[in-house]
Amino acid sequence: MKILVCITHVPDTTSKITFTNDNTELDKGGLQFVIGPYDDYALARAVEIKEQLGGTVTALNVGQQETEPTIRKALAIGADDAIRIDAEPTDAYFVAQQIAEVAKAENYDLIMMGRESSDYNGGQVHGMVGEMLGIPSLSPVMKLDIDKGVAKMAREIEGGKEYLEASLPLVLGCQEPIAEWKIPNMRGIMGARKKPLKVITPTNNDTLTTPESYELPAPRTDVKLIDADNTAELVSLLKNEAKVI
Amino acid sequence: MAKKYISIENLKFLLNEVFNIEEVLESPYYAETDNEAVNMILDAAVDISDRHLFPFYTEIDRADHTFEDGKVTIHPEIIKYIKAMGEAGFIGGSFSFEHGGQQLPQMVTAASGAIMSAANNGVVMFTGLTAGSAHLIASFGSKELKEKYTGKMLSGEWQGTMALTEPQAGSSLSDIVSSATPTDQGHYKLKGQKIFISSGDYEGTENVVHLMLARIDGAPLGTKGISLFVVPKLREDENGNLIDNDVTTAGVYHKMGQKSTPAVHYIAGDNDNCHGWLVGEPNKGLSYMFQMMNEARLGVGLMGAAIASAAYYASLEYANERPQGRKISEQSAKDKPQTFIINHADVKRMLLFQKSVVEGGLSLIFECSRYADLEMTTEDETAKKRYKGLLDLLTPVAKTFPAEYGIKSVSEGMQCLGGFGYTTDFPLEQHYRDIRITSIYEGTTGIQSLDLLARKIMGTGGKSLMLLAEEVKKVTDEASTYDDLKKYVTALQEKLQDLQKVTQQLGGMAMQGKMELALADATLYMEFFSLIVIGWQWLKQATVAKKAMVTGNPEGEKLKFYESKIHTMRYFFSYELPKTLGLMTRLMDKDDTLTVEVEKELIV
Repeated sequence: MKILVCITHVPDTTSKITFTNDNTELDKGGLQFVIGPYDDYALARAVEIKEQLGGTVTALNVGQQETEPTIRKALAIGADDAIRIDAEPTDAYFVAQQIAEVAKAENYDLIMMGRESSDYNGGQVHGMVGEMLGIPSLSPVMKLDIDKGVAKMAREIEGGKEYLEASLPLVLGCQEPIAEWKIPNMRGIMGARKKPLKVITPTNNDTLTTPESYELPAPRTDVKLIDADNTAELVSLLKNEAKVI
Repeated sequence: MAKKYISIENLKFLLNEVFNIEEVLESPYYAETDNEAVNMILDAAVDISDRHLFPFYTEIDRADHTFEDGKVTIHPEIIKYIKAMGEAGFIGGSFSFEHGGQQLPQMVTAASGAIMSAANNGVVMFTGLTAGSAHLIASFGSKELKEKYTGKMLSGEWQGTMALTEPQAGSSLSDIVSSATPTDQGHYKLKGQKIFISSGDYEGTENVVHLMLARIDGAPLGTKGISLFVVPKLREDENGNLIDNDVTTAGVYHKMGQKSTPAVHYIAGDNDNCHGWLVGEPNKGLSYMFQMMNEARLGVGLMGAAIASAAYYASLEYANERPQGRKISEQSAKDKPQTFIINHADVKRMLLFQKSVVEGGLSLIFECSRYADLEMTTEDETAKKRYKGLLDLLTPVAKTFPAEYGIKSVSEGMQCLGGFGYTTDFPLEQHYRDIRITSIYEGTTGIQSLDLLARKIMGTGGKSLMLLAEEVKKVTDEASTYDDLKKYVTALQEKLQDLQKVTQQLGGMAMQGKMELALADATLYMEFFSLIVIGWQWLKQATVAKKAMVTGNPEGEKLKFYESKIHTMRYFFSYELPKTLGLMTRLMDKDDTLTVEVEKELIV
C-alpha cells in the first residue's frame, strides 16, 4: 500500500489572528503552527493502514521552509518520508496542481488529506486532485478500511450516513472519527530528522485567486439581561439585533 | 472551566532565550536531540495534557479513589493516561539510551513536566514516581534487577513507588525499623510497614514495585544502617508467573487534595513470605534514595509552580470577564456599566503577584535543571564541581519557594474570584487543596530550611554562597548596560550584601556553639534567601527581555510579552523583595527567648 498524505501548515486554532499590509496578509509573527486538524486525522489513519497492511506513507506539504517543523511532526507520527513543494500555497487550484504533479509520477494507491484546511476552509483540493488525475475523490470520509484493493468507507450525508466501496486508487478528504489523532512518541520524534525530506520546485505558478482584504469576525458583545416577563423585547432583539429569527 | 493552564510561550522563552538550551544540546551526550525535537516534545506534552489530563482534572477529584475488600480503585482515565505515557516513551525520556530512554536534558523534561503538572498535577504523580524509582534501579541495581524491572516500568505496565515513611519515622528516617533478613537464595525477607506511599496500590496496574528502605539484620543504628530494596507486590516464581509477594494494602489515607493519587499504607511480610532484592550495596540505601529525592524535590517545586500557573490563568480569565463595580475615579457615575475586575488596582496586584511567583519559580527550576545538565555533561572537573555546588545549594530553594509562595499565589487567585472562588463551580478551590501538599512532600519546609542553612551554607563554610554571588554578578553586570535596569541592579546588590550579613551573623552563632539558636529560624532564613534568589531570576529574565526589545524590534504580541516580563520584574522588586527587611530584622536579633528557650508550658 503506497499512501500519500497531504498536510497543511496552519495556525493553531487557539492563536490570536491579526493581519498586516493593509489587511491583505496574515501576520505570522508569534503564531504557533500545526498540522491541519483534519489532515492529522488522515495521517493517523494512513499510519494505521500501513501498520496493518504494510507499505509506505509519504507526507506532502506545499509551503516554504518555515513549514518544515510541521512536516517533521508528520514524520515523527509515522510517515516514512516527506516531500515539500517549495512554494507559498496561494490557493486551492495551485496546491491541487502541485499534488497532482507529484502523484502522476508515483502511482499512489491512496491520496489522503483533510476534508478542508482549518485556515481558509475551502474544502476543494481533494476534488480538484481527483479531477486532475482522473480518479475518484470522496469526502468527508469518516471510516476507512482496505480489503483486497477495495476501500470500504462511510461518510456523512444529509440526514444520515452513507456506506460505500470503491476500487483504488482514490483521493480522500477525511475527518474524525476516521482515526484518533496520534501523539508522536519519543522514538518517533528523535528519529524524525533522520527520515528523508525532499524539497522540489513547484510545477508552475498558476493561481486563480488574489485576496483583496481580510477582516476578523465581530467581537463578542456584552450579555444583555432581559426581564423574564418581557418577551416582546427578547423577540425584538433576536430579530433586529442578533438577526437570528 | 478555564481554557489555559500554562504559557508555552513562557516555557520556550526560558528554554531558548534565558537558559540557552542550544548550549546544553551541544554536548555529544545530547547529540540525538535538536531544537526541533524539543519543540515536538513540548507539543506532545500539550497533546497528552489536552487529551488525558486537563479535561478530567475536576472529574477525577470528585470521584476520589476507593478502598474496598482490600482493593484500591482509581479513576479509569488515569489508567489510560499511564498507558499513553508509556506508549509515547515519556516515562523514561531522560534515561540514557542504555536504560531504554532518550537521553533528554532535564531542562526539557522540566518543561514537559510543567505542562502536564499544570494540566492535572495529581495524575502526573503516577508516572513521575515510576520514573524516579526506575531510575534508582537503573543507576544502582544489578543487571538482573534492571532487566526484570525497568522495561516494564518505563512502558507503564508496572507502577513504581518510593517507600520511605513508617508510622513512627517520617522526617526522621534514621528511626525506621523495617527489617531485611538475608537468605541463601539471593533475596532478603522483608518485614515492616510503610505509610503515605503515593500510588502504592491500585487496580489496573499489573504490578507495583516498591523501592523500600529497610535495615538488614544487625545493621548499624541511624542512617548509616539503611539499605534499599526492590519489593514488588507480585514476584515471579520459577516459571516466570507472577505470584503474591506478601505485600498487603492495609488502607488508604483520605486526603485534602490530590485525590487522584492514593496514599497507601502497606504491610510487608505479615506471613513471613515477602521477598526483596538489595539495590546496590548494603547500608547505602539512603544515599541512593537521595538521588531520587533531589530529583523529586525539584519535581515538587515544579508541581507547585505548575499548580499556581493553572490557578493564575483561571483567575486571569475570570478577571477579564467578570464586571463588578466601578473604578474609584468613576464611583459617582452609576449610570456607567460596571467595569471588569481586572481594571481594579488591587486585582491587578493579585494577578501580578501570581505571575511573579509562577514565572519566577519556573525560572529557578529551569536554572537548577540547567546546572544538572551541565554537571552531567561537562568534562571539566572544576566546572562540574561548580555546577554541583550551585545545584545542591539551590535545590531546597527551588522546592520551597514555589511550594510556599505557590500556596499564597493560589490563595490570591481564589481571592480574585471572590465568593465564587470558594465554590466548586470554579477550579481554584481544588488548586488550593492540591498545592497545599507541596510544602510537605519530599521534606517539609522546615527540613528544607535546615538543609539550606546547616548543610548547604554552613556545611560548605559559605563557599556555596560565593558561587551564588558570582552567578548573580553575571546578571547584574549585563543588566547594568541598560539605564532603566540600573535601579534594580543596585537593589539586588544591596540585598546580596544583606544576605551575607545575615549569614555571617548566624554562622557566628554556630561557631560559638549556639547551633540551636543559629538554626531556630531556618525557615525564616529560607524565605529571606528565596526572595533574593527569585529577585535574581527576575532580573535575569528582564535583562533578556530588554535585550530582545533593543536588538530584535519585536512588535505586537511578542513586544507585549517582553514588556510584561519587565513589568513583572518591577512588581517583584517593589512589592516582594522589600519583605526581606522584616525577615532580616528578626534574623539579626541575637537573643532568642521566644522559641528556643521558651518553656512549652507557655504555649497553651
